[in-house]
Amino acid sequence: MQKIARRKFIALTATGVAATPLVARARWIGGRVTALEVVERIKKNIGVEWKPETVDGFKAGDPSSGVTGIVTTALASLDVLGRAVKTGANLIITSEPTFFSRADTPTPPVRRPFGARASSAPAEPSVPPPPDPVFTGKDDFIKEHGMIIFRLSDHWSLRTPNPLAQGLADSLGWSKVAGEGDLKTMTIPEASLDALVVHVKKSLNSRGGLRIVGDPALRIRTIGILPGSTPIQASIAMLPRVDALIAGEVREWESVEYVRDSVALGEKKALILVGRIVSEEPGMRACSDWMKTIVPEVSSSWISAGDPYWRPTQ
Amino acid sequence: MSTLTAGEVVSRIKTNLGFPWRDQTYRDTFKFGGPDTVVTGIATTMFCSYGAIQRAVEAGCNMIVPHEDTYWNDRDDQSIVSGDPAYKLKVDFMRQHNIIIFRMHDHMHARKPDFIYVGLARALGLDSKWETAPQSHHFNLPETTLADLAVHCQRQLDDRALRVVGDPNAKVSRLQLGVGYATPSINGPDVDVVVSGEQQEADGFLDSPAYVLDAMTLGIPKGWIMLGHNVSEEQGMLEMANWIRSIVPEVHVQLVRSGEPFWAPK
Repeated sequence: MQKIARRKFIALTATGVAATPLVARARWIGGRVTALEVVERIKKNIGVEWKPETVDGFKAGDPSSGVTGIVTTALASLDVLGRAVKTGANLIITSEPTFFSRADTPTPPVRRPFGARASSAPAEPSVPPPPDPVFTGKDDFIKEHGMIIFRLSDHWSLRTPNPLAQGLADSLGWSKVAGEGDLKTMTIPEASLDALVVHVKKSLNSRGGLRIVGDPALRIRTIGILPGSTPIQASIAMLPRVDALIAGEVREWESVEYVRDSVALGEKKALILVGRIVSEEPGMRACSDWMKTIVPEVSSSWISAGDPYWRPTQ
Repeated sequence: MSTLTAGEVVSRIKTNLGFPWRDQTYRDTFKFGGPDTVVTGIATTMFCSYGAIQRAVEAGCNMIVPHEDTYWNDRDDQSIVSGDPAYKLKVDFMRQHNIIIFRMHDHMHARKPDFIYVGLARALGLDSKWETAPQSHHFNLPETTLADLAVHCQRQLDDRALRVVGDPNAKVSRLQLGVGYATPSINGPDVDVVVSGEQQEADGFLDSPAYVLDAMTLGIPKGWIMLGHNVSEEQGMLEMANWIRSIVPEVHVQLVRSGEPFWAPK
């Protein structure tokens, strides 16, 4: 089927339809809105200029395919893809990579031998990595089900207000208490740190990914939200203004030690780490609501990737 | 009373390492105080936290040899943090107690054997008879489940905030050990489980959490146990303290634990 469509496509471009915008042509072939057209609408409506250097883009599938439904998610895990297929959707909008690395390619990246960093031996000639059953299994699944995967991370988080911070505030029930404008810091109903942690765990469906720095009895009134992955500069800028930071992922030698030292030096501060993927889930749920407004032709829904971590209970 | 200076201690560290000092390191340098200060005692620690410095002072040590940064960033760039109240308090305390900080990171990892791995393997009870090649940090263990191995790690290291990805019932025996931020690849054909310190969750060279989740969906037994950066590297600072004692017999040398920074909800 698809091959015939491609042949038609080539034939049409050869007989003078070349002036027609690519999007329109792709739409004509699929008979319904195509993935490429959906992405054109994302770019047109996202409200920030599309960057030339970005991780955002198609990661798998044929962009000229017709879209049967859209699923947004923080992580396009194989489990999420399987559930998306059951809903009849074939276009996945994911915040994090599909193929396990920033390179996001369906074959494994080539790594220097473990420990090579410390040696001064000349680099070995690069050989293609052997087939990896997890990469291959996922790629096969995507192909078999005609799925298209688009990563939307850089540009989604550049929106104002930041949908990831807004989503977290909404999920934690703080939309109403949040101040106008700056959704990244807010005053909440006062609670002890340990009670707040219970609330966060329940609201975000955390499993073992939660890690806390600070006195469990500390009273918390003001919160700073740092979704995704953030460097020390973000914590340094925010912690003095709030009692506690709720962050996705930080470097342990940076923000974790910074908050630990602040606490040890007598400051009444705390850090709640929820994990990068968990911190992006509510913002990607908001993304499916937004997709409904710009692509009314097909259904859009959000599928939770869940907290990847568990912790043994002793 | 000894008149040993910090500069002399550093000089002995450099000459006893067994390989030439690499001057291009930005990590292994003085972070506070300098070579001329007289040393009262030496404390090794993993993170150079305020608490660790305080405990070193209580133990009579004014020279601290940490594995990690002092000013909450790897380059110890003080311009990033100098406006913060905690920075000022930490620096005031160090000045008041005549502290010298000399970081040992790159040269510890380049040394053979790397004490950081030696310490973690010791603390986890990973016998060298199971290591498949010397200093490969790759072990063939008697088969166990991911859940049992995670409980073992948690108990051996008193690791409150350890995190695990993968099927708890997955059968594992081939273990690749990692420390700090150097997480080995979980996708090696000879690796069932990686036990490591800290790794970014996504957008890296190989995103282990996502990989292990998908392996689980495909029924491929893989597991990843993430100990935390401090817990994974702190053990080896005991070996480092013992080594420094052997080359600096004049003063008291000990490990001061920075300790796990986290707690986890039930």
